[in-house]
Amino acid sequence: MIEIKNISKTYPGQKVPALKDISLTIETGEFFGLLGPNGAGKTTMIKLLATLLKPSAGEIYIDGELLERSNRNVKRKLSMVTQEFSLRSNMTPEQVMELQGRLYHVPKDNIKERTRELLAFCDLYEHRKKICRQLSGGMKRKLMLCRGLLTEPEILILDEPTVGLDPFARRQMWDLLKQLNDKGMTILLTTHYIDEAQYLCKRIALIDQGRVDRVESPAVLIKELGIIAVDEFDGNHTKSKFFAVRDEALKYAASLANEFVIRSTTLEDVFVTRIGKKLEVK
Amino acid sequence: MGIVTAIWEKWVEFKFEWSKITAAAVVSPLLYMIALGWGLGSMTRMDNIRYIDFLVPGLIAMSTMNNSFSAVANALNNQRIFEHSFEQVIISPTSLGEYVIGQSIGGSLRGIYSGILVLLIALPCGVSLKLSPGFFLVMFLNGLAFGAMGVLAAILSVTHSDVGRFSTFIITPMTFLCNTLFPLEQIPRAIQILIEWMPLTHASSQLRSISYGQAPSLFSILVLAAYSVLFMVLSVFFINKKKNL
Repeated sequence: MIEIKNISKTYPGQKVPALKDISLTIETGEFFGLLGPNGAGKTTMIKLLATLLKPSAGEIYIDGELLERSNRNVKRKLSMVTQEFSLRSNMTPEQVMELQGRLYHVPKDNIKERTRELLAFCDLYEHRKKICRQLSGGMKRKLMLCRGLLTEPEILILDEPTVGLDPFARRQMWDLLKQLNDKGMTILLTTHYIDEAQYLCKRIALIDQGRVDRVESPAVLIKELGIIAVDEFDGNHTKSKFFAVRDEALKYAASLANEFVIRSTTLEDVFVTRIGKKLEVK
Repeated sequence: MGIVTAIWEKWVEFKFEWSKITAAAVVSPLLYMIALGWGLGSMTRMDNIRYIDFLVPGLIAMSTMNNSFSAVANALNNQRIFEHSFEQVIISPTSLGEYVIGQSIGGSLRGIYSGILVLLIALPCGVSLKLSPGFFLVMFLNGLAFGAMGVLAAILSVTHSDVGRFSTFIITPMTFLCNTLFPLEQIPRAIQILIEWMPLTHASSQLRSISYGQAPSLFSILVLAAYSVLFMVLSVFFINKKKNL
């Protein structure tokens, strides 16, 4: 279980805190999403969990133990896939995996076996001897996930893991993450792809301007907003209205003079409505 | 375990660029040998010793220092600031102390490699040197101290240019002043006292003594070991203390 208690973080030279008094509990085996617009504080939170940053106030506990840079016992349980590429550019995928295994004290035979399995699953096995600099962005992204999974962590932290992946690779990664979560791995995900969060996460936290706006399951949030959406385009803007039942939506749509679309409400609607900002499509 | 991991990393780096590393390690000492040793040095003798015989141990100390420092400082700073791959070390359960020791040893081995290259150039050209295990121990400790200083520089630097500044203000002055190119007796006493505290001074004087067939000084060996420990401890302290790595 991850317990985030009253965490605040202000960067040096900044007056406005990146995170303000955040408290969250993520249960063991949960698939949890952090959603928010750019600059909301998601990556700051992820970096605090990775101990790359230290909080200005508050504490994080993993299974009751304080998470600190020097607490190796807790760090053994964690693995992280960062948003930025974080590969040694002059190493081959095989060497990247070996380094990760060595850093986590994985026995050498296990490193070889897991490397072969993971690289083959992500279609990287034939590229294992190339240096990372020669890999495409999507390949690097997949390699970073393979590296994160090599150590079979109890908790996997993913910061925008599918950025730059083609739709096929994205779905392949979703399947893999679902399987891992079904086997009991706790996964914490930040993403700009709201459909990804809706599909994968059991609960999500909406973060805006360093504060948690709401923590709930995607289904409940959608139900609260209204499960049917009617989009009306007035020539300049699209206005959306949400309804609890289909009949009400149809009645409303019939009264519209402009072009409209009736559809199911998505988590993206919840996000845009609650946070009140346009999503930046990556 | 962390020590072996860091040394393995340095070995992978070396294997990838060994030809460039070798060429770069040879150029500067070779130029010093030609210009100062056989060029200007042919016009002078020091206490019945040829200047080239005086110079080469100093060049080995200098080369060991430069290569150990840059092998660690440049690579680690690059991994921290540009590649972000150092993040994986921080996140991992590997002991940061062990990792710092491993990086320093890896840097030292690179220093020894460059020192051996200088020997390979100097010995066939008639430079008179007596080699012993003590000679290589001093090279190792010198490399260890500057490898550890490289870790410290990489951690304290905010930008990659800061590593260059570290070199400009600390490594370059030592290159010229620390008993490498000329004996310390010829400079003012106040400056001598300051220079005598620097690690490279002890490395060059010991390499020179050993190459003349004299026994190494235990004090100088302890000074080099103390500098190594100090820089490693400071590196771990700053890695743990930094709020934003």
